[in-house]
Amino acid sequence: MKELRLANKIVTTQIKDRIHYPGRLVADTLANIGRCGILLLLYWYVFNLREGTIQNTTFLLVAWSMFFYFAFSVLRLRDIGKTIMEDVRSGTVEILLNKPISYILYRAWWQLGGGLYSFLVIGIIGTILLTTLIGIPDTMMNLTFALSLAAVFILGIVLSLILYSIVGMLAFWIEEIRPIFWMVDKSVMILGGSYLPIALFPDIMYKLAIWSPFGASQFVTHTMYPSWTREWYSFVGIQLFWIAILGMFTYFLFQKAKQKLSVNGG
Amino acid sequence: MNPDAIRVSGLSKKFTFPVKESSSNWIRNLLFPQTREITAVDAISFAVKPGERVAFIGPNGAGKSTTIKMLTGILFPTLGEIKVLELDPAKDRKKLAYKIGTVFGQRSQLLPNLPLTDSLEFFGVMYDLPNRDIRNRIRELTDLFQLHAFVDQPVRKLSLGQRMRAEVAAALMHKPEIIFLDEPTIGLDVVAKKSLRDLLLTINKEESTTIFLTSHDVGDIESLCTRTIVINHGKIIKDLPTRELARTFVYEKYIDLIPEKSFEHFPDLPEGIRYLTQNKNKITVVVDNNTIGLQESLKKLLDLFEVEDIDVYSADLEAVIRHIYEKVPHERTPTRK
Repeated sequence: MKELRLANKIVTTQIKDRIHYPGRLVADTLANIGRCGILLLLYWYVFNLREGTIQNTTFLLVAWSMFFYFAFSVLRLRDIGKTIMEDVRSGTVEILLNKPISYILYRAWWQLGGGLYSFLVIGIIGTILLTTLIGIPDTMMNLTFALSLAAVFILGIVLSLILYSIVGMLAFWIEEIRPIFWMVDKSVMILGGSYLPIALFPDIMYKLAIWSPFGASQFVTHTMYPSWTREWYSFVGIQLFWIAILGMFTYFLFQKAKQKLSVNGG
Repeated sequence: MNPDAIRVSGLSKKFTFPVKESSSNWIRNLLFPQTREITAVDAISFAVKPGERVAFIGPNGAGKSTTIKMLTGILFPTLGEIKVLELDPAKDRKKLAYKIGTVFGQRSQLLPNLPLTDSLEFFGVMYDLPNRDIRNRIRELTDLFQLHAFVDQPVRKLSLGQRMRAEVAAALMHKPEIIFLDEPTIGLDVVAKKSLRDLLLTINKEESTTIFLTSHDVGDIESLCTRTIVINHGKIIKDLPTRELARTFVYEKYIDLIPEKSFEHFPDLPEGIRYLTQNKNKITVVVDNNTIGLQESLKKLLDLFEVEDIDVYSADLEAVIRHIYEKVPHERTPTRK
């Protein structure tokens, strides 16, 4: 109960903080509409060249898949890695380590709270725009889709936070973790379908997208394809598997990291 | 009998870090790095009673902050035992956090973009206080710390003095039994320093909060702390009442000589006495009591000078501390490896 109350306080405080800066939200919205919009225009052109279908996939499905990727990325969960790195490098971690909280959990809620407001605003605007401009695929018009989307979305959040927390915690050992962050981040972007929609992946990459934790953190981009209703429970299973394995790893890594801590002035 | 608020025995902390060997190639440096070990805290022992006000002082790199960080559960000791309010900070970090407060002068724990009340509420929830208690405590602290004028302002817009008052107030939200302060007055002007010291004394008096403070500011030590522990090179070199600091550490007396008319000559002084200032209207000399007694030095000075007035006094605390920092390292064997 105490943890939930604190989580609620962190998230609401972060939302309040974001509302204080509407300029940041406008910039975020424009950047995402720009990035996503340009990619969608290019794909719309390519699909038109191929009479509207590539690998049995329509532009409508690809557009929603890419939109889901961009909407998810607005949560900025990846930044937990950088935040932890900064905490360790600047010594701010000591402020949090002498509070009655779990540091990683605190940072996870903090990150989620920081992105939630932008996610809601950009998600709603994007959904309205996309629905108006290109419509909604039939595969997204059933209860299984809605429920399974909620499940993989939440599990995707948890898995992303765990993945990037592990990267951030490496800062306890390695001074400069940016190259590692870059590798993990690009793996997530590519296997999550930000450049090329997952429906167009070659077989080997598709398998990697499904079986690696990088791709598994972005399963929301799979949910609109027709095969989803048959396969969603195995996707949820894969996410749960990675959460369990990497969650335990995060726990042990943090126990070791605390003992490794060395901050300015001690 | 109350148990000690803090009990430390044989506490040591060693840091190991890789060092680049210029004679080795980068592969060897990467795969088989040379490491160096530094003993930051070396087998220290002390105890603090509930309600005490203790200054933990020493020059930069002496081991003060490392010790505070071990006492608060941030750093893990290499050796030795710590009990803070009967808890082991390394094992019971979260449990201990409910009972202690910390203020690090150079780091802020407040939410920079939001009004101060949000930070105070945030800490209230973090320490699991009921909502009603949070409201009451914010009211109490706002009155006590006179935060009314800026409690609704975003923290980043506060002056340094206001922010430090707010930092201490935030650290006291959950009524901790001990407050650890690491250079709380750093960068503050004299008025802000005095105000913060007065508030800490009030908290100590009214809520019996034990104060454990590191500072380079003599005023903090003099006006806040009844006891001073001096640490250098990771070892405790003195643990004594603050008022005895000068007596214990300073073997020097200062003598001001005021001339009948004016001083024209400045003759060589006997061994153990040296000039500090010399001008026609006033001479100040420093007497080393290890070499020459006060009475004898006065006799010899009166033989040398015709004076109208004499003033004998000891060094102030600032000079005492400077004396400790400058002289003690040479008297002890360095412990760094």
